Amino acid sequence: MPDQEFNQELVVNVGPQHPSTHGVGRILLNLDGDIVRKAELIIGHLHRGIEKMAENRTYLQVVPLTDRLDYVGSMYANWAYCRAVEKAAAIDVPERAEYLRVIVCEMQRIASHMMSVGSSGADSGAFTVFVYAFDLRERIVELFEQLCGARLTYSYVRPGGVAFDAPDGWADAVLAEMRKLPTGLEELDKLLFGNVIARGRLKGVGIMSTEQAIAWGATGPVARGSGVALDIRRQDAYSVYPRIGFDVVVGDNGDAYDRARCRLLECFESVRIIEQAITQMPEGPILTDGIPRLIAPPKGDAYARIESARGTLGVYTVSDGGAKPYRVHFRSPAFCNVSLISRLAPSHVLSDLGVILGSLDPVFGEVDR
Amino acid sequence: MRSYLFGVLWGFAAAILIALTALFGVWWERKVAGRMQMRFGPQQAGPAGVLQTLADTVKLVVKEDITPNLADVPVFKLMPYLVFVPSASAFAVIPFANGWAPFNTEASALFFLAVPGMGALGMLLAGWASHNTYGSLGGVRAAAQLVSYELPRTLSVLSLVVLAGTTSAVGIRGAWQWWWIVVLAPAFAVYFISSIAEVNRGPFDLPEAESELVAGYFVDYSGIRWAIFMMVEYSGIVAASLFGAATFLGGGLGIPGPLGVLLFVAFTVAFTTMMIWVKWSFPRLRPDQLMSFAWKVLTPVALVQLLVAGVVSAL
Amino acid sequence: MSTADTDGTRRLDPDLDPDGSCGTAPSATAAAHPTVVHATNEYSSGVRGAFERCASLFVGLGITAGRMRARPKTLRYPFERLTLSPRWRGALRLTGLLGTDEVSTIQADCASYNARIGEMAAAGGLPPCTGNCPANVDARGQALYLAKGMSAEAYELVRLRNVLPGTMGRICHYPCESACKRNHYDEPIAIRPLHRVAYEGFQQVRAERVRPLPVTRGQRVAVIGSGPSGLAAAFDLMQQGYEVHCFEKEGKPGGALYSGVPAYRLPRDILHGEIDDLVAMGLRITSGVEVGVDMPIRHLIDEYDAVLIATGLQSSRMLPLPGADAEGVMGALEFLKVGNLTGDVGISGKRVLVVGGGNVAVDCARVALRVGASQVQMTSLESMDELPAHPWEIEEALDEGVVALCAWGPHSVMAEDGCVTGMRMQSVVSVFDAHGRFAPQFADEYMEVEADIVLFAIGQASDLHRLVEGSGLELTERGILPVDRTLMTTQADGVFACGEVVTGPGSAIGSIASGHEAAVSIHRYLQGIDLAEGRAFRPDLQCPRYGDVDLEGLQATRLRAKMPMAHPEERAKDFRSVELGITEAEGLREAQRCLQCESGVCVGCAFCARACPDYAIDVERVDDPDNRHVARYDLDLTKCCFCGLCAEQCPTGALRHTAQYELAFYHRDLMVFDKQEMQRPEEGSRATGADGCAGGGCD
Repeated sequence: MPDQEFNQELVVNVGPQHPSTHGVGRILLNLDGDIVRKAELIIGHLHRGIEKMAENRTYLQVVPLTDRLDYVGSMYANWAYCRAVEKAAAIDVPERAEYLRVIVCEMQRIASHMMSVGSSGADSGAFTVFVYAFDLRERIVELFEQLCGARLTYSYVRPGGVAFDAPDGWADAVLAEMRKLPTGLEELDKLLFGNVIARGRLKGVGIMSTEQAIAWGATGPVARGSGVALDIRRQDAYSVYPRIGFDVVVGDNGDAYDRARCRLLECFESVRIIEQAITQMPEGPILTDGIPRLIAPPKGDAYARIESARGTLGVYTVSDGGAKPYRVHFRSPAFCNVSLISRLAPSHVLSDLGVILGSLDPVFGEVDR
Repeated sequence: MRSYLFGVLWGFAAAILIALTALFGVWWERKVAGRMQMRFGPQQAGPAGVLQTLADTVKLVVKEDITPNLADVPVFKLMPYLVFVPSASAFAVIPFANGWAPFNTEASALFFLAVPGMGALGMLLAGWASHNTYGSLGGVRAAAQLVSYELPRTLSVLSLVVLAGTTSAVGIRGAWQWWWIVVLAPAFAVYFISSIAEVNRGPFDLPEAESELVAGYFVDYSGIRWAIFMMVEYSGIVAASLFGAATFLGGGLGIPGPLGVLLFVAFTVAFTTMMIWVKWSFPRLRPDQLMSFAWKVLTPVALVQLLVAGVVSAL
Repeated sequence: MSTADTDGTRRLDPDLDPDGSCGTAPSATAAAHPTVVHATNEYSSGVRGAFERCASLFVGLGITAGRMRARPKTLRYPFERLTLSPRWRGALRLTGLLGTDEVSTIQADCASYNARIGEMAAAGGLPPCTGNCPANVDARGQALYLAKGMSAEAYELVRLRNVLPGTMGRICHYPCESACKRNHYDEPIAIRPLHRVAYEGFQQVRAERVRPLPVTRGQRVAVIGSGPSGLAAAFDLMQQGYEVHCFEKEGKPGGALYSGVPAYRLPRDILHGEIDDLVAMGLRITSGVEVGVDMPIRHLIDEYDAVLIATGLQSSRMLPLPGADAEGVMGALEFLKVGNLTGDVGISGKRVLVVGGGNVAVDCARVALRVGASQVQMTSLESMDELPAHPWEIEEALDEGVVALCAWGPHSVMAEDGCVTGMRMQSVVSVFDAHGRFAPQFADEYMEVEADIVLFAIGQASDLHRLVEGSGLELTERGILPVDRTLMTTQADGVFACGEVVTGPGSAIGSIASGHEAAVSIHRYLQGIDLAEGRAFRPDLQCPRYGDVDLEGLQATRLRAKMPMAHPEERAKDFRSVELGITEAEGLREAQRCLQCESGVCVGCAFCARACPDYAIDVERVDDPDNRHVARYDLDLTKCCFCGLCAEQCPTGALRHTAQYELAFYHRDLMVFDKQEMQRPEEGSRATGADGCAGGGCD
């Protein structure tokens, strides 16, 4: 006779202070032995009310707030927000600024994916992979530092352009770095994605079919890992992306391995994009002339979306004609993607939880806002 | 009476040796892992940071020793020692020189394999006594893993025993022949891999898997008790390396004199480095992969090796 | 070889890309034919797979071992230090608070003024108003003097670069104001009206301050033409100690200012008062002598050590349209000249059509109203938004009743019995092509406008044939005098040119700027210095355009002084002044609005506090007109997020990021940086020692 007392599920609270919850995520697990029966994601530990704060700030003052959404890829939120404001206030962006935005955002994609690929390694116990990936990220971040003086919260993209022009020699430094980067990326590919143990850990874990990825609203590498060739840079080619050639990386199995390797291979595409963008980048102004410090878009709303490292990042602004936004809403890809954990984790063992969570690449600054 | 006095003396010397090996092990691992990750590792305390571990130890000793509210206090406080003593006693039977070990018995090879295995009990109880889910899971994992890997490890040493015709580690070292290196290569591989698992090192560090169980069975330990767990790990690495070098490689390839000693030390350091190298290069296995690896790969290999060793010795 | 590459789906080499979409040229096919790379890869099956699996472990070990051989990338703290980027965002530092001794005017004589401006620009310390002025007038210095009530000093400072401050204070197109940093926050400083205030102040002390300049050098210079450029060059040369002799064709000096600019914008007594000052300082002006007609230029070249041609553009361009020779068709300059000099052109009660959209066209239209035209219409190729005339002039003209017919091009002049009856117009689709070149496209749509007088204000030209006779100077086929636009030299040694002869139709201040260049060349020529050393072409400046600013809730003292204007219907009847000028008290307050850009001192403008997204900055300032001091400046570092918006907003450059990152945290316990703390000395503070210094950007 099985005793009910001893047959109950074990409830484990993973996070918010746990090494592999990527910040302050918290998951309430029901374990049957070592097997996850139910995974409930509890968010809000990093809620700062950024959308509400934005309503009390001028349009320019919101830019530093957007840094703090996706703090692994601040450039994206900067850009998406500025695109929305530019749409609302009908501000043109000089071509050079558009190229600079594309360059920094693709560099940011590499930096952000390196964080994610590295933590795929760290989640499965290969800490050296994490360090190597961070080494690559560090090179990008140093270039960002030369560009705008900040390493994490750049506030680089501004309504109407960018904050600083590239200093002398910066473009060459970027090109030189881009030529070196594929070597490091290939090394990572061999060290992590070629390794038999890593394949054992990542393959077949957290499988999401193409239909499920579409039905559950996944975007970015999470969707592409499941074979959905969804890339806003392609589908809704914004900025100067139509002039640039690159491939979309998709996975076939939709498991953690495909999602993680998608990110790695996207870095090669980003390198291609950056090289083309730097070649094509014209001289010229980097900020549209005559943007007042107090931008007051006419009454109305605007929605802009870009392809961030995590997926479709949308920003919706509503203006009541004043100098402060009436409402700002962020459609954050990390929020939509991380919510899939409760669908993907059950029937996997506890060890796989971190791997699945890591393959969804959540940044809780963006999830909680 | 004299034998007790000697025992105390030996024990004292052994404690110092174990502490030194742990100090060296930690420092060496930090240096090697650092260089692997393009860092310097410790570099401030002493030349090349050799005193860093000492400074850390001082810090750990004076750190507050926290006992969780709901812990089973006596068990919680005792368990580090229960893990440490068996692990430390392994040093007693290692043949450091030709024909000499601190504690030489007929069955010292089996002693080396069996006694540290008792640490599994300590780990299980330590995890349980913390009254922490992660601790409990880590303890259970440790018990399962240590018990599973005892088998291939013992089988691999049995090949040695068959060839040497003795279960004494000193005897094995004495009987070592150079062609064993060829014949017993698979046995050594099995020994090496299962030793890594026995001392909870990556890629078999599931009981303390940082990204899953935070720190596993010693998640709630702090200060000196935590340090003892770490010491067990590093002394385990060194003990396994020493034993492997002493038996599978006949100490210094059976060469007498200083060259042999030098080779013995070199082999030990090489094996230790190899364990560090492996840990910092590979991801960690999943529990089910760990088990199937032990039972489906290592054990059959060790059994075949035993058969080969038997046939060879019969010839 | 890694096992990861076995399936070969990954393409790293762009050259191998089959559809060629990754070339550097913009590719439309990239989006049309999306290519897909597959991320999934598997080991081979069977024995080979087993081998790959084992090999992958050794590949991993090889990679980590390879890294062990390389030199670590981290620093050996504390023996090595990070090199920080110059743009590094560390703690903030305030360099100074407003003090009269901390800002200075731009002090340089005319020969080295450009070099001084270049130095300031290179050091990032050039005020934008000065930078955007073609003649680099020190508008900041003017505001500085005026704020202290020193209007005569302000006038003399402006006169160094702008020879006729009172005149230009009425007619300049003030590019300085559009560059003013206050555009970002509220409204620009009224720099042009302040010239007028300075002029009024100078009039009080004129008798004492106008003294003949000492003639210290023996050489003499002849200037042909007494327009703005000629006078500017003459004044510069007089200051250098040369004797300058000016020849003017008309009865009175002033050039285009006298004959072209209508009196409602520039009262003639002001112009002549200022020219009289120049004469009192030693300038000799011979009026009524047309060089080339009354006197050959050869004579001047022989008599004087250097000759400067500053005759400007005196004839209007006409369009070779059918019927353009009919009576009633006039050129703009001839019309303006007659209108200005006599006040009667004989068009009273007639309907006037002005062809052209530039400033001269607007002047013609407004003069036509004042000399009694019953109806004035303007027609231009450009649409209303593209009109080349200054927007404020268009606005004033429309206020006065001028009717603008935009985007219509002249087709033919309709005439009856040799007299104009109107004009046939053709509608315009676009004026400029994709490259911004003038290439009007017309549509097949016509309109007829009735008019008795048609004025062509479509451009001006110079007629130098008689002037250059016997000088050795050659004109091009199109009648243009070839001049080096950087050095203002002509083909003949010792003959220089400046003004619109060189630059083409432009602004008065632009002509003055070229006069300064010519003066520098003449000075160097006479002193035997290399003309070209350290000089570069100074291109026309682009004025930034600013959007509308939300002025709601701003204190009245922070707003720009409003220029009082004569009533449109009243003023259109005669040549009375349209702009009435601001009072001295308004001028004082306006001067105090100046942000003292790039001075490196905090003027308490509080723009940083308004920009801060974290409300970490608190500036209290004494807000009465006589006292500009900052009462309290606090930066709460517990709130600061180092976004740098404040430092970007700071018009004076007083707020700067330092490399003292540690300081920011050291002071967290102090809660605020107070004023004294922020003005910590260059050698650093107790927290970090020296201010961290930044290395190169991208080395």
